[in-house]
Amino acid sequence: MSEISSRRIGRRDFLKMSAAAGLAGAGMAPFGSGALAAAGDNLDFFTWSAGVDQVKSHLSAFESKYGIKVNYNNAPWAQYRETMVTKFVGRAPLDVLWVSDTWLPEWVEAGWLVPVDGYPELMKYNADASDFCTKSMLYKGHQYGLTYYTDYMAFFYDEDKLKKAGIAAPPATWDEVVEQSLKIKKAGLSDYPLMLSMARETWLIEFMSALVFSHGGRFVDDAGNAVMADRKQGAHAALQWVVDAVNKHKIVSPACVEIGELNGLKAFSSGNHAFALIGRYRIRTLNDPAQSQIAGRVKQALMPAGPGGSHATVGWMRFYGMTPRAAADKARAANAVKLIEWFGGKADGKYQFQKLMFLDVGSGFGVKPLFQDADVRAAYQKYADIAMVEKQQSLAQKKDVVSRWFGEWDEQNGTAWQSAIVGKATVDEALKKSAQSWTDLKKQS
Amino acid sequence: MASNASRAAGVTAGAARGAFRYPVSAYDQRSALLFLAPMMLVLLVVAVFPVVYSFWISLFDLRLTRPHRVPFVWFDNYAHVFQDPQFWASVGRTASFTVMSVVAIMLIALLMALLLNEEFRGRRFLSAMLLVPWAIPYVANGLMWKWIYDSGYGALNGLLYQLDFIDKYMVWLGDTRKTLPLIANAFVWKEVPLATILLLVTMKSIPADLYSAAKVDGADVWRRFLHVTLPALRPGFMLVMIYETMMAVRHFDLFFILTEGGPADASHVVAWEVYVESFRRLSFGTGSALAYIIALVTFLLAFSIIRTMGRKL
Repeated sequence: MSEISSRRIGRRDFLKMSAAAGLAGAGMAPFGSGALAAAGDNLDFFTWSAGVDQVKSHLSAFESKYGIKVNYNNAPWAQYRETMVTKFVGRAPLDVLWVSDTWLPEWVEAGWLVPVDGYPELMKYNADASDFCTKSMLYKGHQYGLTYYTDYMAFFYDEDKLKKAGIAAPPATWDEVVEQSLKIKKAGLSDYPLMLSMARETWLIEFMSALVFSHGGRFVDDAGNAVMADRKQGAHAALQWVVDAVNKHKIVSPACVEIGELNGLKAFSSGNHAFALIGRYRIRTLNDPAQSQIAGRVKQALMPAGPGGSHATVGWMRFYGMTPRAAADKARAANAVKLIEWFGGKADGKYQFQKLMFLDVGSGFGVKPLFQDADVRAAYQKYADIAMVEKQQSLAQKKDVVSRWFGEWDEQNGTAWQSAIVGKATVDEALKKSAQSWTDLKKQS
Repeated sequence: MASNASRAAGVTAGAARGAFRYPVSAYDQRSALLFLAPMMLVLLVVAVFPVVYSFWISLFDLRLTRPHRVPFVWFDNYAHVFQDPQFWASVGRTASFTVMSVVAIMLIALLMALLLNEEFRGRRFLSAMLLVPWAIPYVANGLMWKWIYDSGYGALNGLLYQLDFIDKYMVWLGDTRKTLPLIANAFVWKEVPLATILLLVTMKSIPADLYSAAKVDGADVWRRFLHVTLPALRPGFMLVMIYETMMAVRHFDLFFILTEGGPADASHVVAWEVYVESFRRLSFGTGSALAYIIALVTFLLAFSIIRTMGRKL
């Protein structure tokens, strides 16, 4: 087996053509003219299409202040990874971009991101960032960005339903969740008191990680070896709890395997359930009378703890990354650093953009000082308990499965968990299969 | 006399043949080639090149996320696919989906065509209504069925509950035993109109004399259907079977929208595997190999249908 010879056909040409063919096949073609046409000293900034208006307005302020022109483009989140990978492969001009924590190892190993820990003007913000945020941007000892947005999996309950069932306080453990759910069920308040979204989608790993971490468990150890199949580790207990909740206690709908995060949110906000695992930022929607039938009744509690576990949950992270293209040129790198700081750090001495995104769209922020900001506190008071939000954020952990082979393993692991839930495999079989898949992929990598 | 007549006939035939023969010159051929060239070029670029190039890609271990190493692996991608138990499981699911879909489409389309072949009040309206599912794009169709099948607020549960067929809402797509048949149902709903039209057109071309002769021979309705209609419908059946088999084997949209291959791989068909391999794992080498395998299987299926049914036409 020979490598493609650069004499016969340039590897980059081959890849470019492949990428173009792939894009054509997928019909997802933002090899945008804007991106390709970009040239000169302008910075090229790419994001997914969230908060586009906010990004544009903050960008205008940046351009006015520094006189640096920025070509801004975006693509939908659902196709973002594929879009960016094909852009990287096709050497589209990119300097600064939004990155998800789950893609970090893959993109770093491919040489598409450069560390930013050589820039003290960016590193100084680590002192303000939540611990798991900084950890989520680290790979092999280097930091690759600055916070754009962060959030975590939260445990919500419908206060009204609990009161009607004669329950004074929300559950503190997963056993109490079962106990209270059975009470609520018995009172005829809900057929399936706990809403869990277990459909195969990108959210699934966040739900699973929250369950595993709160059971004191891990998928992999510090050395990156699979420990999920070990009965002493929390993953086994977490999956067993879900299987029992669906099949034995019947407090979670067996349809959970077809319910994605968005449908789960709709089901909970329509008043069908008493408890739910949903991203923290959704509490704004849940307590908005225009969007939720249980507005004003949704409260957050700490993630219930499993036996031997804690109130830990999973946090996720999106950040500003820098490309080798930006780093290759000193002046361009300096401009890119300014842009990253303007968005991910302070602009004119304040965390303006993270605050703007929180106030406008409810996105979570990764810097602790914003919890003390008067505007933030006032906004939170309308729909959430800021002390609880902050406390849970301090207990968030980064996903331990983020690796170069994460995408492939995630597919296998999702199937394994679903197999156990629908009774096609035992918990042991499912987790052994998942662990085996991890080990094989790690070896191949 | 006779020889004169035949000579005259020969001349006439010769003249007639000559009348259909266009004068051929090098100029005409050049003109024809010139006019055809742009379209040939377009076809080469958009059809021939991608087909050949994707085969070329299938011989490399090409992963977009690993751009610095793209080894030429000959047919390893194909070997890898055939050795993968997951692939064979997905072949089994694809076969189940295809068989149940094509059989249902042909049966329903036949009944619909028989109905629309009769004269009755409202026939035209019914014919127009029949086209509605066909006119709906696959993605919209998928989203519609997702709403219908939803276990929490779906129309199917609502209907069955109100009719007292069920006493609590059922899990549909989340039940691994029901997943494939339910997706097949959505596929059938979309495909039946075209199949009906194809069969109806064939039915309309059956000479009325055949039915009159059968009546004279004392054949009742059932016998006329069995011995006149069904044999005459064979070309239509063949067309429908080939087309719908190809559609079912390659079908992706509904699997993507309704279940994403789940739950627990219950709807992980070959087309879904191609998508996962190519656009989630970004492994274009294996993805291309899988796509070629699907293309080959589809071709072989169509070929065998033509061989077995076409021979009897």
